[in-house]
Amino acid sequence: MQWRNSLHGYGAVAKFLHWAIVVLIIAQYLIIEAAEELPDGLEKFAIVTRHKSVGMLVLGLALVRIAWKLVNSRHPAPVPMPQTQRIAAAAGHGLLYLLLLAQPISGWLMSSAANYPVTFFGLFQFPALVGADPGAHEFYEEVHEALFATLATVAVLHALAAFYHHFRLRDDTLRRMLPFVGPRRR
Amino acid sequence: MRRAAGILPFCAGLAALLPAAVVAQAAPAWTTDPARSRLEFSGTLAGGRFDGRFARFAPEIAFDPADLAGSRFRVEIDTASADTQEAERDAMLKGPDFFAVERWPAARFEATRFVPTGPGRFEARGRLTLRDLTRDIALPFAFEAAADGRTATLSGGTTVRRLAFGVGQGEWRDTKWLGDEVEVRFDLRLHRK
Repeated sequence: MQWRNSLHGYGAVAKFLHWAIVVLIIAQYLIIEAAEELPDGLEKFAIVTRHKSVGMLVLGLALVRIAWKLVNSRHPAPVPMPQTQRIAAAAGHGLLYLLLLAQPISGWLMSSAANYPVTFFGLFQFPALVGADPGAHEFYEEVHEALFATLATVAVLHALAAFYHHFRLRDDTLRRMLPFVGPRRR
Repeated sequence: MRRAAGILPFCAGLAALLPAAVVAQAAPAWTTDPARSRLEFSGTLAGGRFDGRFARFAPEIAFDPADLAGSRFRVEIDTASADTQEAERDAMLKGPDFFAVERWPAARFEATRFVPTGPGRFEARGRLTLRDLTRDIALPFAFEAAADGRTATLSGGTTVRRLAFGVGQGEWRDTKWLGDEVEVRFDLRLHRK
């Protein structure tokens, strides 16, 4: 296993960032859905606060991931596919990166507008992005939810495309991003 | 006639006492311009800071740097006017675990002792009542009067421990998420009565 990407597969850093973000986003959804069921109180507050810290972690990981992608110019050679599919894949990946940034930022805006501090697990505080404004808070809340619906939809399509490559086309598209799995022996 | 003669020294005595009574109340009374005055607070939530304010409060200020003995503060704060720009948190602040505004609609600060601490700076030693608890607090402030003496600014602040006043009952006694220390700041624009 190597840290950097190679022509045959993604390196450990790219795989770790991909899967850490997947796990954290699924956890984020489950956490906040559970919090919605709770009455207003300390427990709900504590859970929502954790959700914000984890969201900032996702934002940080997404930024590292994009930076890593930019400095790590070597990418696995694309699997041969029709140009329309290649364009669709590139557009989907671009949209996913955009959503990985927009999703936490919309949550950060939501907290700022509600005059709630955003911290990183209580260690330090992020600056408020906008001033307190109850109307804007409602707006950012809707944006945050709409972005999640979009992110979930695009992520499911992304996974279905990976399964299509793996099970129907029987190529290395999925394997090269799986942890602890090398490329198929040829 | 003899009766009137008896009353005269008594009246003279009363007249002599009168200036003393006036001196005790000598510090000028000020009215506050509510549109340009603020009473704010900052708390810590999960290690981060958030700000709020009281929209309605009524200060009765009699203050003269040259007559600290005759000076007096009395401020009534409408606890239901607490505003942190977020409806759920505001409702919680006004609820039974925090200010319990239905039982105790007003908080009060009263001070009659003033100590100079520097040029234009003083400390009021008074008593703050929140909910049903009254505690001594020291309130540092600056007083600056305009040259004509008709207007002045009075500003300062201190840190209050919310739990000393029972603000935060039940699970909110825990200070892990909501800090005990609350910073209180005020900035008043005063006009001579």
